[in-house]
Amino acid sequence: MSGTLTLLAIGFLLIALLVYLLRRRGSEEADVPWLRDEDLAIPSAHSEDHRKEQLDRIFGGEDWEFIRRSTSRRVQQLFLKERKGIALSWLSRLRSEARTGMHLHVARVRASQELAPLAELRLAIDYYAFQAKCGLIAAILLLGGPMALRNMVGQAESLSNNLRGMLEAALKPEAFSQRTRIR
Amino acid sequence: MAVEDGLRDLRNRTLAKLDGDFARLVYLASTRDYNTGRYAHDGLSFRFTESVAQKVLAEAHREVFASLALSPLKILVAQLEQYIRSGCARPDELLGSWHELEPFRILAPEHDDPITVKLFVSNIRVALAIVRESWRANQLL
Repeated sequence: MSGTLTLLAIGFLLIALLVYLLRRRGSEEADVPWLRDEDLAIPSAHSEDHRKEQLDRIFGGEDWEFIRRSTSRRVQQLFLKERKGIALSWLSRLRSEARTGMHLHVARVRASQELAPLAELRLAIDYYAFQAKCGLIAAILLLGGPMALRNMVGQAESLSNNLRGMLEAALKPEAFSQRTRIR
Repeated sequence: MAVEDGLRDLRNRTLAKLDGDFARLVYLASTRDYNTGRYAHDGLSFRFTESVAQKVLAEAHREVFASLALSPLKILVAQLEQYIRSGCARPDELLGSWHELEPFRILAPEHDDPITVKLFVSNIRVALAIVRESWRANQLL
């Protein structure tokens, strides 16, 4: 019962936050002059391959197996420390891309004449769920130590796919081009 | 078209003579001016133009970097060992200075994905530690 109430309260808070953000008038697109659509382009097939390869290298077990079997404890510790740093950098970039995508989306929505509150709410929930998941993985990396890095490629891939899905939903050009006041 | 011809020329005349991708990467990075970031190669500029030479070297640099940056650590270690064996009279000096100064930080081309560049630098650091250990062990034998 108390769990349902908490969820309801969170839901209301999110709606209130969303309404506040959407209603806030001001300099609209000028609020975020550094954002350009091309900076947030959805990845091509080539960059998709690159992304997968990168994830495999950072989170996959191949390099660790090689290190574990053929090097000293000192090198193993160096490797795990290095990979932990890279994984945290990767997570931080993902979060920053999501934040930038949402900034751009909010700026566009403010300039829009028609709003789809349900779609906006779904996007806001996805965004906060995504940020929470990033935080959780970062916590696992920091608290669980370097060993927690192993076999995280699945979670990393799903996180990366979440981000792409969110950005696609947030930056669909047809969703705004016909409805915005700025043409 | 000129860029493709230039690339072929660079691969056949210069890069083919270097032993391994790591040596090629070091060579290509060394054709870039530290201050301006511009590439220069007298032979290519003479056969083509300065602008074509610049594009050819930048493209070749990106290609070689891409082939190494995300390769398994095992391969990177082998490449590094090959580079040290074939191009260095005093491996202990190279290993020491690379460990201290980390000159491999400037081997990546411009505008590459920052995470890939970080991963490459980090992998070289680990590969170097592995090669240093095996070098020391061989010295003691």
